[in-house]
Amino acid sequence: MKVVTGVVGNDIHVVANRLIDLSLQARGFEVFNLGVNTYLEEFFDAVIETGADVLLISSLNGEAEGWGREVPLLKAKYKKLDDVIMMIGGNLVVGTGNAEDIVPRYEGYGFDIVCHQVDLNTGLDSLEAMIKERHLEVRNN
Amino acid sequence: MSQEKLLIDVGSTYFKVSTKNSIEQHFRDFNKSILDDLTHKCGQKLEGFDKQDIHICSSANGGLSTLIIGVTNSFSLKYATNIAFNSGINIIDTILFQNIEEYTIPSDLIDVVIITGGINSNKDNFSDELFHYLEKLSYSNVVFVGSELDVPTIKENIENVVVLPNIIDDRLHIVEDSLKNYLTNLYQQDIEGKEDIKDLYNITDNQIFSTPYVVNKTLPFIDSKYSVVNPFVLLDIGGATTDIHYSKDLVDENIVTENEYDRLVFKKLGVYKSKQSLIFAAKNNEFVYELLMHLKVTENIFEEQSDKATKILMQLAIFLVLCKISHYKKAYVNLKLLSVNSFVLTGGITKVLTAEEIENIISFFYKKILNSEHNPATVLDSNYDIWTLGAEGKETCQ
Ligand code: B12
Repeated sequence: MKVVTGVVGNDIHVVANRLIDLSLQARGFEVFNLGVNTYLEEFFDAVIETGADVLLISSLNGEAEGWGREVPLLKAKYKKLDDVIMMIGGNLVVGTGNAEDIVPRYEGYGFDIVCHQVDLNTGLDSLEAMIKERHLEVRNN
Repeated sequence: MSQEKLLIDVGSTYFKVSTKNSIEQHFRDFNKSILDDLTHKCGQKLEGFDKQDIHICSSANGGLSTLIIGVTNSFSLKYATNIAFNSGINIIDTILFQNIEEYTIPSDLIDVVIITGGINSNKDNFSDELFHYLEKLSYSNVVFVGSELDVPTIKENIENVVVLPNIIDDRLHIVEDSLKNYLTNLYQQDIEGKEDIKDLYNITDNQIFSTPYVVNKTLPFIDSKYSVVNPFVLLDIGGATTDIHYSKDLVDENIVTENEYDRLVFKKLGVYKSKQSLIFAAKNNEFVYELLMHLKVTENIFEEQSDKATKILMQLAIFLVLCKISHYKKAYVNLKLLSVNSFVLTGGITKVLTAEEIENIISFFYKKILNSEHNPATVLDSNYDIWTLGAEGKETCQ
């Protein structure tokens, strides 16, 4: 299964990105890591070129909100992104904030899994759970 | 040592003929074929040389047209556009495949259609809409440089398609070589195929190359002729087009390639053949009136036919090209102009403008557009040394 990942916007916090790459590989994913400083269009374009099933965006420095708001508009321009699992994690607001507000907001932007200050392994477990779930859905149809 | 050589460069507006000690340049007479014109003006000189000592390159009417179809702007289209530009090809349009039905079909014959998209493990990047579109398009060549898994469908549906290795590798990086070689060869064949140019084989035994190719080959050795400080930009402002060649260090794109120097062609920026489109571009640039004022002329100069007017047009061409490659205009490529150490100027411009006149424009550009006092060195290749070096060097590698 293919995953495109990277850190969105002007964010240069690279440590999490490296760990995410390694953890995904350890779980058997084929990883396309766009690294830090990646713009939304590049993420979506990389999903198209690779045929990835999952897009996992990280944001650490507090920029996420601005980019999140752009997602619906940009995504609507693409015709082949509907089945992609969209996931975002890291520090999704400036400062702390609480997950009860943050998660629904990002879901509204079009993300399927939202991990605000969630431990990486917990986050990746929920990704695998969703993959399983979706496969079941496909089989049931 | 080998005999003395005669080097000839045929351009769209004039040709130049050079020997070890002399260089002459003539406006072309378009009522004559190139060969007739050449023998008429330089017959005596030609007679002094054997066919094997005459070397010719040409930029006349050079240039193929291409239309590129890719699946994303950030990868397939960007990479193919980059390769096509570097091969000196004129891009008519780029088409994002998912919206292919919304594009109008160009009426002109396209020399080569480039289709690309997807890494090799990604299948079904294209569908019938592509084939429908191609049915309506008139083109001479079509090349596929996308995912390996799509090759069978592509071959089945597109007649005479040439298939080359994917230009995107599995890490989403660009792979240039095979497409670049293919396009460069097409360009070369196109130049050789022109009736006028074919005639020239009556006077030479050597292969006729395209001028930009020759110039690009010389760039790594440019410091043997001039004290040029890297990184540099070379501007070749001609009658029909303006070419720039630049050190790769100046590009902050994440495209990683092996070539040290790249080239861009601005098709519609020349001071004779494409003078009208140059003026049009100038009138649409918000700083041009200030520039004209700075040069102490008014826009009436565009209507004039004088040496002064030619000078101004050339100065405008420099300014417009700089704008096009700066962050001021988001164009195909933005160069880090604040890091440029030298500007090298070659071509007809060196016969028309002095170093001061050129520096004047360059510093106006830096101040106005980049708000900077940066002042790169200007080097004038007024004796066509760059071209001579390339043309001479050419046959030593054969
Ligand atoms: C090191 C660091 C830097 C270094 C970065 C060096 C580098 N190239 O990586 C430098 C000094 C350059 C830097 C700069 C800045 N930083 Co800083 N930085 C940190 C610091 C101290 C550690 C980050 C780190 O590497 N952690 C280790 C990794 C492993 O942990 P992590 O990044 O949190 O990632 C884990 C989880 O978040 C999670 N995760 C991440 N992404 C995802 C995605 C998913 C889907 C899931 C499930 C999980 C997940 O998994 C990771 C592994 O467990 C943090 C504070 C902190 N202690 O976290 C601040 C911090 C991230 N930085 C911060 C800020 C504000 C900045 C600056 C804006 C400061 C400034 N004013 O200039 C700049 C921004 C620069 C830029 N353009 O991005 C803030 C962000 C605040 C916010 N979001 O509101 C923090 C939180 C500090 C703070 N408390 O204020 N920073």
